[in-house]
Amino acid sequence: MRHFRTLLAHELRSAALSWNTWAAGGLFLALMGGIHFFALIEASRAPSDRTPVESTLWFFWLPLLCVLPLLTMRTFAEERRSGTLAALLTTPASATAVVWAKFLSTWIVWVVFWLLFTLFPFFTVQRLGTPGDARLGDPSILWGGLCFIAVSGLLHVAIGILCSCVTRSSALAALLAFICLLAMTAAGGAMESLPIESWEWLGWLREPAAHLRTFGHLQDFAAGILDSRPIVLYGTGTLLCLGLAVLSVEGQE
Amino acid sequence: MNEAAPLPEAAVVAEKLTKRYGSLTAVEDLSFSVAPGEIVGFLGPNGAGKSTTMRILSGTMSGTSGRATIWGVSVALNPAGAKRHLAYMPENNPLPEDMRVEEYLTLRARLKDVDPSRVSERVRKVMDDCDLTRRASGRLIGQLSKGFRQRVGIADALLAEPRVVILDEPTIGLDPHQILGIRDLIRSLRGKMAVLISSHILHEVEQVCDKVVIINRGRLVAQGRTEDLRRELLPEISFTLVTRADEGTLLAACRKIEPAVFVTALPSADGWNSFRISLPTGSPARETLAGALITAGISLREIAEDRFGLEDIFLAATRRTPGDSRRS
Repeated sequence: MRHFRTLLAHELRSAALSWNTWAAGGLFLALMGGIHFFALIEASRAPSDRTPVESTLWFFWLPLLCVLPLLTMRTFAEERRSGTLAALLTTPASATAVVWAKFLSTWIVWVVFWLLFTLFPFFTVQRLGTPGDARLGDPSILWGGLCFIAVSGLLHVAIGILCSCVTRSSALAALLAFICLLAMTAAGGAMESLPIESWEWLGWLREPAAHLRTFGHLQDFAAGILDSRPIVLYGTGTLLCLGLAVLSVEGQE
Repeated sequence: MNEAAPLPEAAVVAEKLTKRYGSLTAVEDLSFSVAPGEIVGFLGPNGAGKSTTMRILSGTMSGTSGRATIWGVSVALNPAGAKRHLAYMPENNPLPEDMRVEEYLTLRARLKDVDPSRVSERVRKVMDDCDLTRRASGRLIGQLSKGFRQRVGIADALLAEPRVVILDEPTIGLDPHQILGIRDLIRSLRGKMAVLISSHILHEVEQVCDKVVIINRGRLVAQGRTEDLRRELLPEISFTLVTRADEGTLLAACRKIEPAVFVTALPSADGWNSFRISLPTGSPARETLAGALITAGISLREIAEDRFGLEDIFLAATRRTPGDSRRS
């Protein structure tokens, strides 16, 4: 991992100066701000088991599908198209260092977006207080949810990076990432909704389906339940995707 | 540069390099070498396999078979080690549009293992050498002209004082002034770095290079010093002359001093006839031809020995079938 720090600093600087990051950030905050606003309106109309923060976090899939592909699409596709990736690889910097630097910088930007989102509930509580429900001011749900976003974000960003590695078109990379993230987010729920119990030959799917329930993981993290299985799932998935991305970059001719 | 490292016999070695894309053979059994400090021109028609060879040597592409070494380090077995001795500027010189020149060169210096305490000094030095300091240092690369972009590419190549520099068409798209500047810059590297340079501008290669390697259809057709290749590929001596005499009279006069002479008529104008007279290699008539023709009463307006340039050598070499190639 020689040159990793140099590359990471370069990638973070590029991300900070890129119109793409600012556009994605604007879209993210508009989406999450809107969702949080409607969650507050809904909470003021009728009592609910969920706090507005929980309801807002439940929609994490929306920025995941609409914003994250915008962040990851250009990482490799654009550099492959312009030839700067090949030029970068003529230096002693390894493909592994390049992939990890791009991955980590994108993940940091993703996490920063979500940290900015915390300003919405923070200012809401500052302005409105916690009328009638002490849970409204409880930060543990928010931070638990953000831990889920950060941990699952490792795999989500790695998927986006891998999609960007396999094409020279940023638009195609974004589309591929959208499809993969949609499949991954919906897979657990879709498999759980299948009548597996009544189909014996599908019995082997029961266990994987239980592991892939993304919304269940969010619920567990937000409730403060620390289960090692999703952490292992996201961690190994991340390593697999980044390993494939390194192979893809090394194999480019 | 690590001065303590032992000097290898060759800075660049390509040994039976072959690259195949399915049924298409881009490079086949290509062998040549570049000595330390030598400037070598790498020539060939479009699609001959020059860029493919350069990419294999730079480690950005793997060969199908054969061996490539940079400063004694195998490019395939130790790519990071080989890259430490090498700088490569690809043909289209891809650069990030959104970085400033100085910023970009600083990043590249760090990635190329330039001692951190020397990064600023090296960046300033190559920017001065490539005439970038005054007019381009603070500008975005995306706003630079083609000429300045090429200079940035060359500055990048020289940053880490590599042992070997590979430049793929470094002067493509430059105006004559810029070409002169780049040529002087490359010439200044003689003795300091081994330079392998591909170019379509043969005059420029002839001016700058110690040796040329010519390939055609992926195979070596000639390599060596220009003078040696001239003797090998264009052994005949020829003169162009302008006279009032007709072809028969001229041929008869020439045969008196060299029976194996050939006379070819060239386009004529204004009542004067132009001819090319070809003599065999080593013919003593080379020195006596003009005097002999005057003695024979042939009026001459002009007579000059033809000087074959690299262009003629290139054409002669690329016309040869690859099977005839010289593998020196």
